[in-house]
Amino acid sequence: MAKSLLIISRQAPWNGPSAREALDIALAGGAFDLPLGMLFLDDGVFQLAADQQPTAVQQKNLAANLQALPMFGVEDLFACSHSLARRGLAADTLALPVQVLDNAALAALIARFDQVVTL
Amino acid sequence: MTTLHVIAHSPFGDERLASCLRLLGTDDALLLCGDAVYALRSGSEPHRQLQAAGLAQRLFALEEDVQARAVGNELAKAVDYAGFVELSLHYDKVNSWL
Amino acid sequence: MKFAIAVFSPAHAPSSRRALRYAEAVLAGGHEIARLFFYQDGVHSASANVVAPQDELDVAGQWRAFIETNQLDAVVCIAAALRRGVLDEAEANRYQRPAVNLPKPWELSGLGQLHEAAQVADRLVCFGGD
Repeated sequence: MAKSLLIISRQAPWNGPSAREALDIALAGGAFDLPLGMLFLDDGVFQLAADQQPTAVQQKNLAANLQALPMFGVEDLFACSHSLARRGLAADTLALPVQVLDNAALAALIARFDQVVTL
Repeated sequence: MTTLHVIAHSPFGDERLASCLRLLGTDDALLLCGDAVYALRSGSEPHRQLQAAGLAQRLFALEEDVQARAVGNELAKAVDYAGFVELSLHYDKVNSWL
Repeated sequence: MKFAIAVFSPAHAPSSRRALRYAEAVLAGGHEIARLFFYQDGVHSASANVVAPQDELDVAGQWRAFIETNQLDAVVCIAAALRRGVLDEAEANRYQRPAVNLPKPWELSGLGQLHEAAQVADRLVCFGGD
């Protein structure tokens, strides 16, 4: 049975390539049909904000790629409720359908994956 | 499954330690290396946070980093690289907070 | 036990040196390294062009020696490498760039190699962030 991998993305979307490179790990794993989850934590939740205009800073549209995750078989998407609240992001305004989890639920989430990568 | 969390960033002006402590499972462990060992400085706020977290035998620090920084460590169990490898196997997986 | 070790930082970063010392300890402990995978700024740890000051540790050189001596599988992510200007001969020719700075023993490949390593290894351990 394939080992499951949780990818934790902690960086804001326009802070260098980290957000995109975390997503690329997810997309690559999805393409191989691996059991994956993706968690947006700390500044990573900024990737989920609606109405972003990346072209203003001459960047590609990350949101479009994030929205492609389910097409690659990566449907288990999560966000940290504490990170959202701290940043003034309301769960019902997010650009991506994610499960919002509190601290205890996040600890349980991490516990059930075979491997974790946090970037 | 249990996790060995590894943090290498200074806790001052960085969110990693605080977020890790929020998400730490009851059977998880934390290894501090690099500038993260500054969290072991007694009298500091991160030190108080670590004490409050009550990690007991589940808090580790990479010995070389403690020594390099003359941090003075009474809270964490110091390990060398062989110890780091053993910890990696003792816990079910390793989560480095890059 | 089998380890997959991923390096996300350049040779001058403390985490790259730490990853190397860890990798050495893995082998010294009688374990196997299934693959070393260099991603994000870790591609710079594989650069042949790093010139460390004489009185400083040559971490890039040590990585190369470690991989060659132990005949390890060392993969550099091609997408991360291209973006950061770390090219082998084939890519330098393909994109008409003046410099080849990724030597053997490293191989350029995709993220699939990271996933494969994570699947076969007992532990995936990552180093980087600085």
